[in-house]
Amino acid sequence: MAFEQKPKEVSFQQNWSAYAFLAPALVILFMSLLLPAAATLVMSFTDVSFLHPTNWVGFDNYIKLLADEKFGQAVANTIHYTLGVTFPTMALGMLAAVALNRKVPGRIAFRTIFYLPVLTSLIAAAVVWAYLYEPYAGPLNNALAGLGLTPRPWLQDPSLALNSLIVMAIWRDFGTAMIIYLAGLQDIPNDVYEAARLDGAPPHKIFFRITVPMLSSVTFYLLIILIVQTFQVFGAIYVMTQGGPLGSTETVVYQMYQTAFAHTEFGYGAAMSTVLFLTILAFSLIGTRIMKRKDG
Amino acid sequence: MARLELANVSKSYGAFDAIQNVSLAIEDGEFAVFVGPSGCGKSTLLRLIAGLDPISDGAIRIGADDVTRRPAGTRSVAMVFQSYALYPHMTVFDNIAFPLQMEKRAKADIRQQVERAANTVQLTTRLKDRPAKLSGGQRQRVAIARAIVRKPDIFLMDEPLSNLDAALRIEMRSELTQLHKTLGATMVYVTHDQLEAMTMADRIVVLNGGKVEQVGTPMDLYHYPANRFVGGFIGSPPMNMLAARVLGNGAFDVAGVGQVVMPRLGRKLAEGVAVTLGIRPEHLGSDVAEGGFTARIMPHNVERLGAQTMVHARIDDQNFTCVLSGDRPLTQGEAITVGCKADRIHVFDESGLTVAKA
Repeated sequence: MAFEQKPKEVSFQQNWSAYAFLAPALVILFMSLLLPAAATLVMSFTDVSFLHPTNWVGFDNYIKLLADEKFGQAVANTIHYTLGVTFPTMALGMLAAVALNRKVPGRIAFRTIFYLPVLTSLIAAAVVWAYLYEPYAGPLNNALAGLGLTPRPWLQDPSLALNSLIVMAIWRDFGTAMIIYLAGLQDIPNDVYEAARLDGAPPHKIFFRITVPMLSSVTFYLLIILIVQTFQVFGAIYVMTQGGPLGSTETVVYQMYQTAFAHTEFGYGAAMSTVLFLTILAFSLIGTRIMKRKDG
Repeated sequence: MARLELANVSKSYGAFDAIQNVSLAIEDGEFAVFVGPSGCGKSTLLRLIAGLDPISDGAIRIGADDVTRRPAGTRSVAMVFQSYALYPHMTVFDNIAFPLQMEKRAKADIRQQVERAANTVQLTTRLKDRPAKLSGGQRQRVAIARAIVRKPDIFLMDEPLSNLDAALRIEMRSELTQLHKTLGATMVYVTHDQLEAMTMADRIVVLNGGKVEQVGTPMDLYHYPANRFVGGFIGSPPMNMLAARVLGNGAFDVAGVGQVVMPRLGRKLAEGVAVTLGIRPEHLGSDVAEGGFTARIMPHNVERLGAQTMVHARIDDQNFTCVLSGDRPLTQGEAITVGCKADRIHVFDESGLTVAKA
């Protein structure tokens, strides 16, 4: 009997030591993430503001959101930004990874250069890009003028501003996509490529019929993290356009910030935040479900 | 099907010569096996034939065509990889169909060819499955079907059975031999397992250090090894090697044994020259013949297998193994006398080359 009980004691002790090691992280996670998230959810059912006493308003904030044209515009802008950033970032990341996965001269240098934007501070990068896009003396317009083309007000024209931000985001993010795709490419055995070569597949067929499908798990993972990340865009907009011109770069998170901190409508801002959270959660859950099915 | 010819083929990686001046011809419909220890260059040679690596020097001809500079997919060769190299995201059907799809064949034709190949390797019920759902043996069959469907001039197989368990390996060995007979194809098969080589090959090519040591039928290599390396590599358990010195008149002084008389040698060896005598363990017996090799040995291990008894001893600090027929109730530490006839002894000169018998 003593022999049978011993492993149980060990596993009990092991469990406790595991919880003890996890405890600091769990406490920090609870205080910094779960508690504020719960507070936000509660707040979304109130009209909390500095201007008047707080009242319980039920689903009023959510009903107001449905009819809010400005919020609708922010959602449309966010979707435009997300689609505009996600797919080109993935395509460029994959192409760069495939190119730099080969033994080409200087590949380490290129990998480093492509990844550098990821490491730079977003604010510093935004300041530099704001200078690049500067309408009168910016290098981009100077270059266009030099080529005989018309300079454009990149961040001042409502039809151009969001796309200009998208280009900057692609520049910043495709290094991440490249690194993740490079890791995925390392997992494809060389034998498979050699078998395809012997089967008479030309390089473009090998790319589309072997490389791309075998990277599908990586592609899916990237798709989810990029959607989640771009849905929450804020810093670049705050520094470069403040949501303008004419609200053309106002995204959900920026509007949420404005609603809560500029207009002190914390309850309404919390409702926006909850909707954004549920949207991102839905993407994550769908993504996880599909990934599990693929792995199975 | 076609004849394969390698003419002075060499392959270097920087200063390392992986393949050195290999010339050989594999006849139409022949089952040739490249065998040798790890790192001998057998897989490299196969990759050169496939076109997966460019050769440094020499020429490769398939039939009448010089394919030396042709890319891999255009040489009419199909290869079965050690790792199977199946496309994991495709079904078994698509794996087998892939080479035909690359040739842009009609869909109906592809279906017919795939079903025929799948039938040959008994996989017709698994065509809709992905490779991950198959056992090791089934995956290997898919790889073979993918090769068959192309109807290549040459089949190349790179240690295709080494990832399978022992029982399946024996089964697949016999199936591959049968497949070769059915297809009548020219096959080049790489293995480090000399048993596979002996049981499957029409001819064996023994490689060592990037060079061909000997080419011949399995029994040629077994009975007439060209040198000490081939003598030691072909045969299991390996040939016993005994250091000896030439005494003259066909006699040798064997270290740890004494005098051995070998009257019929093809060339005269100078007196005092160091040689090696090779004796296969299964050629030794306890019914000692006169005029041949006789040794008194002290077994340190006896393995009774029923049909035969394996006796391990040491002579002059070298391992010495005897495979005696039948079950012998021997015990370790009990000395026995073993021997063989003179014509069973192989003589290798100082450079390791066989001294042929007269």
